[in-house]
Amino acid sequence: MTPVYLQRGALHSALGADLRAANAALRNGLQPTANTVLLHELQAPRAYLAVAGGETPGEHCDRLIRETLGDEPGALDDCLLIVASTSLDIDELEARAARHGGFHPDHSTSLDLIAERLRERFGFVDAFTLNTACTSAANGLLYGARMLGAHLYRRVLVLAFETPSAIAQQGFGALGLVSPSGDYRPFHPQRDGLVLGEAYAATLLALEPGPAPLARLLGGFSACDTSSLTNTREDGSHIEWVMREALRGAGVTAEQIGLVKPHGTATGANDSAESNGVRRLFGEALPPLCVLKPWLGHTLGACGLTETLLLVENLAHLPACDYARDALLPLSGEPLAVTEGSLLLANYFGFGGNNASLVLQRGAGDAP
Amino acid sequence: MSHVIAACSVRGNSENTDKDLKTALISWLPTTPRRIDRLILQALLCTAPLKAMTRRDCGLYLASRHPARATMGSLLDSVCVHQLQPKPFEFVNSVSNAAGFHVAAQLGLEGPNLFIGAGPNVWKHLQAMAALDLADDLVGQALLVVIDEDQAFEAQAVLIAGPSQAADFAGLTAGIDVLQLQL
Repeated sequence: MTPVYLQRGALHSALGADLRAANAALRNGLQPTANTVLLHELQAPRAYLAVAGGETPGEHCDRLIRETLGDEPGALDDCLLIVASTSLDIDELEARAARHGGFHPDHSTSLDLIAERLRERFGFVDAFTLNTACTSAANGLLYGARMLGAHLYRRVLVLAFETPSAIAQQGFGALGLVSPSGDYRPFHPQRDGLVLGEAYAATLLALEPGPAPLARLLGGFSACDTSSLTNTREDGSHIEWVMREALRGAGVTAEQIGLVKPHGTATGANDSAESNGVRRLFGEALPPLCVLKPWLGHTLGACGLTETLLLVENLAHLPACDYARDALLPLSGEPLAVTEGSLLLANYFGFGGNNASLVLQRGAGDAP
Repeated sequence: MSHVIAACSVRGNSENTDKDLKTALISWLPTTPRRIDRLILQALLCTAPLKAMTRRDCGLYLASRHPARATMGSLLDSVCVHQLQPKPFEFVNSVSNAAGFHVAAQLGLEGPNLFIGAGPNVWKHLQAMAALDLADDLVGQALLVVIDEDQAFEAQAVLIAGPSQAADFAGLTAGIDVLQLQL
């Protein structure tokens, strides 16, 4: 794949109001404080990592675009917009259903509504919505980058977000996947599920580095494991294949990888499958690993971008894991520092059998 | 040169119940998945007739204008009005790429599986993503699917083996026999 630069990035998350604040919190070990959501019927509390500040999703999107493209973005007639999200406008639909005492078919909005609204307002040359569950943003980065490589556009803005949807909170709760303890512990032997997080993120992709590139996307791969709608093969074979294809697409070997950022949902089946997949690929020679969901929550369709941005911005200051000795994979019990040019493998998996891996390198990078 | 292998178009309307769709599907897929919603049924209906021509190394590029309204309505009513937990299968079906999962599982497709919201340039976007995977030899075939339901519905599927740049379904399938199913 032709390498593509993440020229700029923006992140609004529970960890901070913007990317700089999130970086500072991560480096200082300041974990976000969770809100509490009650599961209906059970009345059982579950932790939720919300974004502070009270901006609406629309206001977040506007601020992301300003932070990524500047206050005066200029003509965007060379720039594709990819909206990657599973929640889209569900917050509006939820409010409408509550207000009207139920859903009516004419409440239904187009899945393309937000992308089309933003395209019209800002003048993007084209726009579409990508929704492949928790791999949405990873696929947005991957296909956006490859569209640049094919010279279909000169720039691509990937906008990824997950709003605090009651359906997502209650739905994951109904599936028994949300942590009752509120301790988000990927790969812990007694892990008890995920903690959902609200987040909004954007990045500008281009073939040129620009003045201060965040990272280069060197390759990736995405495919569908049809064995189960909600789980991937527990032996890790599909995950291994996806990671291998991602490395092949990037033209690098497993031995060259300097850090793995696992998907790490802290659900029983996912972590077991991913642990098996990572061990199948790397054998005994495992590179350092770092999980980021405890810091942002599981930001679902946005995690492919929220975690990628937090990862590439903090390679010299990655957090320690306080249960490293017990974890299924050898997470680091000490803060991690990875050199600037290290090759990074980032995993993102989702419902619908979607598994995706990205190969990245911080900054302008040197050819691997 | 056209790279189109086969195509199918299914038309119906709101009077066609999910049971009607399932009955029609059984002639193409004798063992249909259980607890699936209308969007999944429509996706399976337009793709199952192409099953004999699809290979394992086929990617799926699926788009829908709307989510399955009945599923979304039931979830919204349960969660936001009656303060109930959603039914797990309804929540899982509400994930937009659930339809793509079922198509890939039933047709044995092992390639990339993407779902986009169908906008004004939906065929252009689907063809562009498929062309990237075809050009990089990640897939040998691409199955493009667009589903649109308002009062009436239309589910269209095209199986291609090479890049294409048609404006719409009609342009993409010009010159080939499209299997037309009317419910």
